[in-house]
Order: sequence, then C-alpha cells, then structure tokens
Amino acid sequence: MIKQLSVFVQNEVGSLAGVTSILKENNINLKAIASFDTPEFAILRIVVDQPDKAKILLAENGYAVKITEAVAVELEDVPGTLNGMLTVIAEANLGINYIYSIVIRHKKAPLIIVNTDNLEKTVTVLRENGYLVADQEDL
Amino acid sequence: MIWAKEETLSRNEIEEIQLSRLQEVVRRIYEKVPAYRKKMDQQGIKPDHVKSLSDLKNMPFTTKQDLRDNYPFGLFTVSKKELVRIHASSGTTGKPTVVGYTRNDMKIWTECVSRIAAMGGTTDDDVAQICFGYGMFTGALGLHYGLENIGASVCPTSSGNTQKQIMYMKDFGTTLLVATPSYALHIGEVARQMGFDPAKDLKVKIGLFGGEGMTEAMRQEMYKLWGQDMKVTQNYGMSELIGPGVSGECLELCGMHINEDHFIAEIIDPETEEVLPPGEKGELVISCITKEALPLIRYRTRDITRLMYEPCKCGRTTVRMENLSGRSDDMLIIRGVNVFPSQIEEVLLKVPEIGAHYEIIVDRKDHLDTMEIKVELADESLLDSYAKLGELEHRIKSKIRVILGIDASIKLVAPRSLKRFEGKARRVTDLRTNML
Repeated sequence: MIKQLSVFVQNEVGSLAGVTSILKENNINLKAIASFDTPEFAILRIVVDQPDKAKILLAENGYAVKITEAVAVELEDVPGTLNGMLTVIAEANLGINYIYSIVIRHKKAPLIIVNTDNLEKTVTVLRENGYLVADQEDL
Repeated sequence: MIWAKEETLSRNEIEEIQLSRLQEVVRRIYEKVPAYRKKMDQQGIKPDHVKSLSDLKNMPFTTKQDLRDNYPFGLFTVSKKELVRIHASSGTTGKPTVVGYTRNDMKIWTECVSRIAAMGGTTDDDVAQICFGYGMFTGALGLHYGLENIGASVCPTSSGNTQKQIMYMKDFGTTLLVATPSYALHIGEVARQMGFDPAKDLKVKIGLFGGEGMTEAMRQEMYKLWGQDMKVTQNYGMSELIGPGVSGECLELCGMHINEDHFIAEIIDPETEEVLPPGEKGELVISCITKEALPLIRYRTRDITRLMYEPCKCGRTTVRMENLSGRSDDMLIIRGVNVFPSQIEEVLLKVPEIGAHYEIIVDRKDHLDTMEIKVELADESLLDSYAKLGELEHRIKSKIRVILGIDASIKLVAPRSLKRFEGKARRVTDLRTNML
C-alpha cells in the first residue's frame, strides 16, 4: 500500500495553492491530488514522494493533516481495465468511498487509488485476481 | 497565605467597619460632588439618613453613563492636584471613562491586589510576568504594584510579541503569569508550536487571570496546557471601582473573595433594580467605601453573579462572588432565548476534537435570528471521511441545543485560523444591530 495525506482545507480562494506552495518550497513532489466541490470545507487528498516530511511541514503551517494508507493499483491503458478492477471489488462486497488516480509515472502504467472500508481485504482480492498493487517505493 | 487580618473578621466586625466608612463616604460625596448631591436631593436622601447598612439600598445607583456625563473629572471628590495617577477604561464605545487615584488610593489599591495575589499562591519567591497591556488600562499596573508589594520579581513584559514572552519565561525562570485567560491559552499554544511543553520546559506554576471571565472549562484547558499542578485562579475588578483588586479566588476555588473592608457588594434584579436576598443570582452592584478620589456608590457593574456569605475553608470570612455567568449587557437574545456566550463556551470546551478558540456570529435571515459558531478542528484522525467530520458538527450542534434550547449552525475551520486576542477576547459578532 502507499501513503496518502488528508488535509483539512477551507472553501476559500487560494486554499489549495496554500498547500501546494508549502510542498513546492520544500521540494516535495506531488504525485496525485483529489478534492471535490463541497459547501464549507474539503478534505484534500494528496500523494507525495516524501509523505512524512510533508505532514510535518503542513502541520507546522497550521494545517490539520493525517497520513493514511491507500490502495494503489497499476492499470494498463486499454479499454475495460478499470471496469475489471471495480467488478472484483464489488464482487468481494466492498464499497468504494472515493477513487482518484496518478496518471504521470515515468515509463510506467498509471495508478488508480481506491479507498474502501477494508483496505487489507481489497489488496488481497485484487492480488488474487492478478492486479498489481503498488507500494510507496513503486511511486 | 492570608495577607491581611481584615480578611478573617467576623460578620459583625466587618459590618461595623463598612457602616462607619459608608457614612463617611456618603457625607463626603454629598458635600463635594454636585452630581451626587443633585441625585440624592432628587430622591430626598440626606447623608444622615444612612443609619444602617440596609439604608444603602435607598441611595441612587451610579452607572457608566454618569461617568461619561461627568467626563473627565466631574465625579471626583478631590482636586486634580491631589491625584497621583490617572487611568481610563478601554471604553470601546464613546468616550472613555476616566478614573483617578490619590496617594492614599494607591496604597489601598496595592494592598487589595496584594491580598488577591497572596490568595492565588504568590510569595516573594515568585518571578511574575505581567502580560496585560500597560498604558491607560488599570490591569497591568494594578497587578504590578500589588506583586511588587509582596516582594515578587516583576517583569512588565506587557501584551504582544508572544514568542519573546516565551523566551523571557524560559530565560528568567518565570513562575507566575498574569494575563487574560484567552491570552494565557494562546501563549501556551505558541510555546507548543515552538517545540516546548509548557508543563515541563517552563517553570510557570501560578496563573493570576483576569480582565475577562474564565469558565471552569477554560480552567481545565489551562491545566492541560500548563500542567496539572498549576495554581489557576482568576480575579475580578474594573477600573471604575479601583482596577483589579475587588475580589479574587483563593486556592479552594469556590468563588472570589471580595475585599469587604473596601467594597460593599449587593445583588440586584437588573430589571426591577430591587436588592435580592443573599444567594440569589443577579447583577453585582459595588460601593467603594475607602477611596478618596473617585468613591463610586452603588455602581452597576452589569456582571451577573451571586454572593456566598458562608466562611471559606481557606480561613477567610469575606463574602465570595461566584464565577461570572455573563454580563447583563453581553447577553444575547436569540429567538427570544437569553444566551450568554459563556454557556456556549462551556459546551465547546468539553468537545476534545476541537480547539479552545471560537467565534459566534449572530445574524437575522427572513426575520429569524441565526447563530453560527466557528470552531477549529483539532483532531486529525477525523480526516478519514466527511462522515466523521459531519458527525462532529452534528454532535456539537445537539449539545448546544440541549443547553440553550436553540439551534446553531456549526462551522469547522482550520486549526489556528480564528483570531487570537492579547487582551479581552471579542468572540461575538452581532450583525443584527442595524436592523429592525
């Protein structure tokens, strides 16, 4: 599994840039980012190359941040692969809370990041069905 | 320790002193202050009508408006030449209220503050850092003189520049902190951000807090930040009466002992202005019976409390006033319900997932009052899902509903994003004032 950061951000102009500027100033590479339209505040999810360092820096700058594990699955860029993976998860009776992706990887296939209520079981069923589940060092 | 023998007199002894001092001061203001003479004449009261302490209730009240109407020195009983100190209130609206002290008033003030500081555990071994703003505000210099009189080493750091405050605390080995409770919490937070644990890395073991009320929940926050063994007391006063020094908590923490040989306390119903029986809650009214320059009689403090006359375990016999329940002029009326911000604070400080700072915004939409409460998220573990954050908002909302009987909308904001105050906290914004 990989590490993702969940950051509390307020719904106001410049709040995402506030997070990314701290990462940039400290030379931390952002691999993936996800946030959706919510009325008051948002949980911003990011994947970076140095998650522990990023957490400390963000916390020092007043952000509420949490590191959690996430399942990242390597998917070939051909029609139907995402559908195959989602079917495996559904057949294992696991609900998906959210999903986003890492598209740019040097000479490697994109990664889909998926969150369910049972991450261990998700990894197991995906591996049993031949999916490649990435670890932090695979990023 | 008990600083003065006047703190342990019997009720009869104290009342005897109060009556003779009251009679003297009523005579003096009648002779020397035209505004008082006019008010007393209008009510048909002469100085010799005050034959017992219960006759005090026939005297006219004094209000902040009287001080404004007689700005700056109209209610003084002495000439300007006899003053050795002039202060003014923070007065957020209109003209400030001006107060003055003769040399003897300064002695009384210093004595009153020394008593309160001693009640809170101060000794001549303490290094006291005064983080109240100096200047026209009475808080800083009042504590300054009282603590010096005990023999503590006083550092007049004033308010602001919090990182430097913490540096002094560390380098001087400060043992005693004087601040508003909200600023003390802020200093503790900043110390943590700087990488110190205030409980372990600093020597502060006494907090003498004032300038604004401190709720019990705030006191618990204080222990969490500054250490469980900190002696956390609050004291009470206002510039119109003397400044700090009217009353203070002893280490039994069962109300604030009033310096009764200098001040007579009454509780009235703020609406009917009738004196209420001992133990009932209402507005505190104070008469100054020893001051020379500005001895206000029956001053309407607007603070809501009740008085407890039973002797205290600490050995003092002076009457105690309960922690303030609010101010009669701070009270918000929301959809017809009386709401004191302190009630909301009590609820919020018991929710561990949020920080100690908050903001209340009252508004009116479609002729209905609305209340929004902004709180800072402190517990990162809730960032797993919107559901957990939503549950937190919902839980705070229902606790507020249980206490106040009205609905508030709860808005979670980022840690450290709400305004911090170095003096009195202003946490309520009422946007309804200009509406019908």
